[in-house]
Formats: sequence, structure tokens, C-alpha cells
Amino acid sequence: MAEDLVLDTAIRDWVLIPLSVVMVLIGILRYFVSKLMLSSQLPDPKIVKEGQVIVRARNLRAAANFIPPKSFRSRRVYFSNEENGLLFVPKGQAQNPQAQMFSDPNMAMDMMKKNLSMIIPQTLTFAWVNFFFSGFVAAKIPFPLTQRFRSMLQNGIDLSTVDVSYVSSRSWYFLNLFGLRGLFSLILGEENATDDTQRMMQMSGFGFDPSKSLGAEKDGLDIVQHEWALPKFEHRAEAALKKLIK
Amino acid sequence: MVSKTEETQLNRLENQVDNGGGGAWDYLCLVRKLKVRRSEKVFKYGLSILNDPKKRSALGPEEWTLYEQVAIAAMDCQCLDVTKDCIKVLQKKFPESKRVGRLNGMLLEAKGSWAEAEKAYSSLLEDNSLDQVIHKRRVAMAKAQGNISKAIELLNKYLEIFMADHDAWRELADIYVSLQMYKQAAFCYEELILSQPTVPLYHLAYADVLYTLGGLENLQTAKKYYASTIDLTGGKNTRALFGICLCTSAIAQVSKGRNKEDKESPELQSLAATALEKDYKQRAADKLGLLTSALRSLKI
Repeated sequence: MAEDLVLDTAIRDWVLIPLSVVMVLIGILRYFVSKLMLSSQLPDPKIVKEGQVIVRARNLRAAANFIPPKSFRSRRVYFSNEENGLLFVPKGQAQNPQAQMFSDPNMAMDMMKKNLSMIIPQTLTFAWVNFFFSGFVAAKIPFPLTQRFRSMLQNGIDLSTVDVSYVSSRSWYFLNLFGLRGLFSLILGEENATDDTQRMMQMSGFGFDPSKSLGAEKDGLDIVQHEWALPKFEHRAEAALKKLIK
Repeated sequence: MVSKTEETQLNRLENQVDNGGGGAWDYLCLVRKLKVRRSEKVFKYGLSILNDPKKRSALGPEEWTLYEQVAIAAMDCQCLDVTKDCIKVLQKKFPESKRVGRLNGMLLEAKGSWAEAEKAYSSLLEDNSLDQVIHKRRVAMAKAQGNISKAIELLNKYLEIFMADHDAWRELADIYVSLQMYKQAAFCYEELILSQPTVPLYHLAYADVLYTLGGLENLQTAKKYYASTIDLTGGKNTRALFGICLCTSAIAQVSKGRNKEDKESPELQSLAATALEKDYKQRAADKLGLLTSALRSLKI
């Protein structure tokens, strides 16, 4: 257990604050650059149609009990019919979306642009931090940590006896990276390009969206048992009227 | 559908603006958000804001949205000169804009030059074949020219792609009812009920169509949908109450010879009649005599 290290206030003035300020500025810069580079992406008709089909199928599933059984059955057949049902995706086509995504020049370009605008600033800032701000203790985390975090948080510091709560500036960089998201949504409004983590989650689930959700909707629709709710309504109407007349 | 709170808010703002207390800009924003059609008021108050340079500069970037809103309202009130001026200003500011192109197309429509408007819309569609508003304008144009079959065809094609657009389904149902194609209209109303099951209007319209189609099964279904309308509106919908009475008597007539299978809700008709009488006594007491004689003739 090492004794308490006294950190120079100059570290705070010249490391922590400038790093945060620089990251905020870079974030704002990226936001404006992304707005400039916004190419009006023409939505693909097939994807739009699939999206709408999904909404309609979902409505059918949700409100199935409000329409007569015959209409429900005819609609179900229309959707999940083997030959030309809207939701039916033959096995061969299921793999296409991902391949399409990479071969379609427009979409690939767009994704590359988005990736670049995210990766380059991050890499540059990280390299800058490493070059200028390494080899010293930058801050002390207020709560105690286990030894496992040593390699992650104390990268530039080559002393093994220093308490793990004393971290290098690299960890301050990462803290800022994830923490400034809230600040950006305050300054720049909801839609801002600095939402990296969100975009990373989106990218992983992109390609398979259409056909998988179609299949999921079709299964959901097949499961639904139609129970016509309308007869109940007659009794409820009676009750409502009785109350009204009283 | 506009909710009740929004409706009261709109009426309050309208009264406020009409009686000379400010708030014109809030009113215009609310009208734009709720997409209600109040063209005369929008035209009057929007134009007064636009003609006053101080108020205009106070709007900042919203000025152009106001120009668009006033242009459309002016077209609705047939003041085409004002429209032309607004569009000129917008075109100077946004030379290559599709929105301005759309306004130009609407101006041609308002002037009545259908062919040119059609050309303008098709060229806009070439750039972006998935623009919903332009597709709908083409349907409106076909309907205005009286070419209902073309309107139906265009609307069906639109719905093949954008099948979750319930306004379009509503329009199609209206057109079918006007052409007396009730089976297709019933299908459209079913779509509407599926997408918004708690809106009593659609249940009512669906019940009307089913009743018009006739036949024992349809009449029974219609009765159920009138009942659901009553339930959703708490018994206040006069048309649904009438519908119940008519349905029950029609069913009784159709199934005169056969056994009456469904005795699910025998009291419904008498209850509906009583509710109607009470309603008329409250709101139109002089017509009560007509009502009682009509109801009596139905019960036969």
C-alpha cells in the first residue's frame, strides 16, 4: 500500500483540462464536417417496401382480434403464402443483404465515409495523447480498484508499486471519449455524429435486418390465434348504454 | 388524428389570435404541426407577419417554412399572386430545391394546367422515386380532374410500396365508397382498424359499409361493430345508436323464417332506442315525435 502521492496542480492545468477541451472541440468539428459531407442517400425502394411490410404485418398481429376471422385468415395467407407471400423469403436470398451491402458502391462509400469520420479523429487524438502525455501519473480515481486494472489504466507508468487508483492520461482520454456523449447531446442537439458507441452497435446489426425481421414477423403471424373480440363488445356496449341511461 | 388536448389548445389559440391578442406565430406553428387545414386564417396571419419586416427578421431561419406554409394556404384560398410571390422568394433563396419544385407543381395544379403539373411532378419523381408527397399529389390531381379510375390505380400502386400509410388507405376507402365498390371499401376499412383499433370512426364507417352490403352475416358483423363504436365512444355516438336499431330490425327481417340463433344481446336494441330518446329529448326535443314514430316502425 503506497502512501498518498501528491500530484502537481500543474498536471490538472496542463493535462486534464486541455485534453477535455481538445476532445470537445474535435467533437464539434466532426459534427460540422459530417453535416457538410451529408450525401442525400437515396433510399432503396426494396428496403422501404420491406420496412412498410413489416409495419403492416406487425399491425395485423397486434390488432388481429378486431377484424372478422375470415379477413384475418385471408390476410395471413397473403403474408405468409409459400409462393408469393410478402413475408416469405426463400433460403437462397437470405444471404444476399450482406453481400449486397459490400458490393453496392453507394452504400459501401457511405459506410466508409462514416467509419472514416469516426476512426481518424479517434486515432489521431489517441496518438497525440500517447506521445505528449505519457510516462506520468495524471489523476487519482476516487475509489479503490483491484490489481487487474493496472495494465489497462497505468500504461505509461512503469512502477508496479504505485496504487492502481493513480492512472495515466490515457485512461482520462477514454473516460472523456465515453463521457462526453452526454455533453454533446446537450450542446449539439440529439442527432450528432459523435454518437460513436451507438453507431458501433448499429453497424453490427445492419446487414441482416430486412430478411431476418421478415422471417421473425412471419413466424409471429403464424403463431397468432385469432380470437374475435367483437362479440364481447356487444355486451360491453349494453353495459355502457345502461350506465348512460341511468 | 388530433387528440382532444391538442384540439382545445388549437381552439384557444385561434380565439386568442382572432380577438387581437398576439400569439399568431404559435398558432401557425401548431397548425403546421397538427397538419390541420385552416387556410384562411393561416393566410391572413401569415401574410401579416411576412409583410412586416421587423417580425419577419425576428423569425430567423423559420421564415422560409412560413413562406411555404403561406404559399400553400394562399393556393387553397385561390390567391395565386401571393403564391407566386412567395415561391419567387423561396426560389431565390433555394435555387435547386425539390421542395420549391413541389410548390411550383402545386401552383400549376391550382391554376388548372394539369399537363404541365404532371410533367413537373414526373421530373421530380425521376430524381427521387420514393417521394411520398409527390405521389399523393398526383393522386389528388387525378381525382380533381374527375379521372377516378386513374386515381384508384395510382393510389393502389402507391400503397403497394407504402402499405403502412393509413391516410392513403382512408382516401382509398372514401373513393371506393363513392363508387359503391363496397367490398373493396370494407377491405380498406379493415386495414385502418388494424392500424388504429381504438379510433371509433373507423369502426363506424366499417359497420356502415357492412350494413350497406347486406346479407345476414354482414348484418350481424355490422351490429357488432356498431356496438364496439358505442363502447369506444361511451354511448354518445348517435349514428351508432341508430345503426344498432336498424341492424337489429334488418336481421329480424332477413331471418324471419329461420330460427333466431343469436340471442347474445337481446336488450341492445331497446337500450339503444332508450338512449336515442334521451339524447333527442336533451338536444332536439321538437324532433322527438319523429324519432318515436320511426323507432316504432322499425320494431315491426
